[in-house]
Amino acid sequence: MLRRAVFGWLILGSLVLLPSATSIAADMNDEFLQLVVKLIGDSDREFRAAGLDHVRTPAGGTEGTKLFAGRLPELDSEGQTALVGALADRGDSAARPAIIALLSSSTDESVRAATISALGKLGKPADLTLLVTYLSSKSGAEQAAARATLTQMQGETINKALAAELPSVSDAIKPALIEVLSARRAGNELPAFLAASVDENAQVRSAAMAALGQLGDADQLAAMIPGILKAQQGGERDAAERSVALVCLRIDNEDQRGAKLIQALNAVDLDKRDQLLSLVGRVGGKKLIDFVGQIATGSDAERRKLGIDALSKWPDASTADKLLEIVNSTNDSAERSQAFQGYVKIAATRDQRNDRQRLDRMKQAMQAAKSNEEQLLVINRCRTAYDVETLRFVLPYVDEASFDQAACETIVELAHHREIRDPNKAEFGKALDKVIAVSKNPEAIERANRYKRGETWERKAKSAN
Amino acid sequence: MLDEAFAILKQYDWGSDMAPLAPIEDAVALSHDQAELRRDLENRLVATLQSDASRDAKDYVCRKLAIVGTVASVPALEALLRDKDHSHMARFALERMPTREAAQALREAAVKVNNELKVGVLGSLGSRRDAAAIPVLKGLLTDSDPSVARAAALALGSIGGVEAANVLKEAAMSATGNKPVIIDALLACAEALLAGQKQTEALAIYRSLAIDDQTRLVRLAATRGILACTSLQS
Repeated sequence: MLRRAVFGWLILGSLVLLPSATSIAADMNDEFLQLVVKLIGDSDREFRAAGLDHVRTPAGGTEGTKLFAGRLPELDSEGQTALVGALADRGDSAARPAIIALLSSSTDESVRAATISALGKLGKPADLTLLVTYLSSKSGAEQAAARATLTQMQGETINKALAAELPSVSDAIKPALIEVLSARRAGNELPAFLAASVDENAQVRSAAMAALGQLGDADQLAAMIPGILKAQQGGERDAAERSVALVCLRIDNEDQRGAKLIQALNAVDLDKRDQLLSLVGRVGGKKLIDFVGQIATGSDAERRKLGIDALSKWPDASTADKLLEIVNSTNDSAERSQAFQGYVKIAATRDQRNDRQRLDRMKQAMQAAKSNEEQLLVINRCRTAYDVETLRFVLPYVDEASFDQAACETIVELAHHREIRDPNKAEFGKALDKVIAVSKNPEAIERANRYKRGETWERKAKSAN
Repeated sequence: MLDEAFAILKQYDWGSDMAPLAPIEDAVALSHDQAELRRDLENRLVATLQSDASRDAKDYVCRKLAIVGTVASVPALEALLRDKDHSHMARFALERMPTREAAQALREAAVKVNNELKVGVLGSLGSRRDAAAIPVLKGLLTDSDPSVARAAALALGSIGGVEAANVLKEAAMSATGNKPVIIDALLACAEALLAGQKQTEALAIYRSLAIDDQTRLVRLAATRGILACTSLQS
């Protein structure tokens, strides 16, 4: 009985005490919120920072978020920027309406940029249309903030919503929007990029092709070709071709890569196909050599020229045999000259072959050369075969008046490479003595003297002009 | 081995080879769970402390007594508290010994030793967080030697708790020269209270300091304290 009475009193006591503890907590919460609100507007930066530190935490809940955000209109620009950043870090979307209101009312660029950035964390898909307009803002800070925000915004529907904006936005916005989608790795929006790749606006086309180059795969290859054809000759065309080449290089198997590109090219009208041969050169591969080789040795002279040009632009020396075959078989002197120059260029390329293989190609070229100009070209390009055998091959030409200066230049270039000069010091010493005696170029003579003394030589930077 | 080591220890100075003292080091470790061995070791250390051993030897002994010392070592260490050459190392040992007698020895020294040594003794009481020393420290808050008054305030701050805080609050009202140190100590008390989940007590201190009479930095620290206390309820 007594125990029950005591128990009853305890319950009653706790009921009396409970509201008291709750009210203390409520008072503390109130004090906290009021203090933070006061500090946010403090003129002393350190006091303000103390308040903002707590804005960044979830303390105070949604009530606190609304209270803090409510102070935005009363603050100066610096205070607004700081508070907007802190509210973004707090991550409570209850601050969103106040931030959007500030974005539309503020005349300060840094405040607007801060609000745009904050929407990256607090915004909703409904804000995308507004944010997209800032991609063409006159303010660099706003543009950068919009770009970063749109790139960072999370949510499954964001990519689709951004892509849906593409057709309706201005040309000033489209390239930036495409770049944003590309940065977001929006692989499901490739049809939108493909549509933009043939846009009338060059910047839009360039952005779309670059995005396709980053995100596309073999399935987009054929659809990207019109983008190349639409591109203007020069930088835009080069970039477009590089984007398609990037997509091609994602196909691991060389034969499949060649077959896919040929399939894509065959879908293009014949009269336009030849414009794409330089693309073929960028991609490379045996199948494509055969494809271009047929054009380069076909019956149409104009197409042959384009074919030889494509073979000469190959990324490695795998087209050398085909070019040499043309050199030795054609009856057209201009075509022969074009193929010979292409062969020497390709043969001298510093690819995966070793220096001896490069030299062997140069020896073949020398045998095929029919004029002093062609021989001079070979002697000149021998400098890419860093081997003492190259020195031995070039040295006799120092004694021939027609080739002596070119041979001197090549010997000096070979001597520049310490790794072949040092093990063959005596041989290079004699050759450099000859250069010093024969060369008419003061720089070549100075270099020869320096290399003889075991010194190095710093290549002068090419003039901007 | 140990006899030989203690014989060498008497002449020891910090520049010489420590290898001959290895048996003492080993004994400290080995005696961890061997009461008899530890008692013997402590007796030998105390005997060295009471001998005419070199200053460095006594320094070494104090370091070992900080580990193995018991109530049996306290009198010998207490005697050194008044010696300017050995007071520091005696405190080093007493500060770390978990016996009431060690704390008592420091409290008694706090009123007996000269002011120069007293500052260190007060620091040791603070380090021990010896709440029993609060009355002694309270008396010293108004000491005519500013360094003693300052050391007493800092020790109270280190001890922390409501009682120390009340002493400091009271002192802050009348203090003049050492007021910044007292405030600093008060803030340390509040911080310790907050860390110990005593928000209400901490908040009372912070509120008392977040007033216009205080310097900007004190107000800033107190404001941050209020935010920390009240945000815990939010």
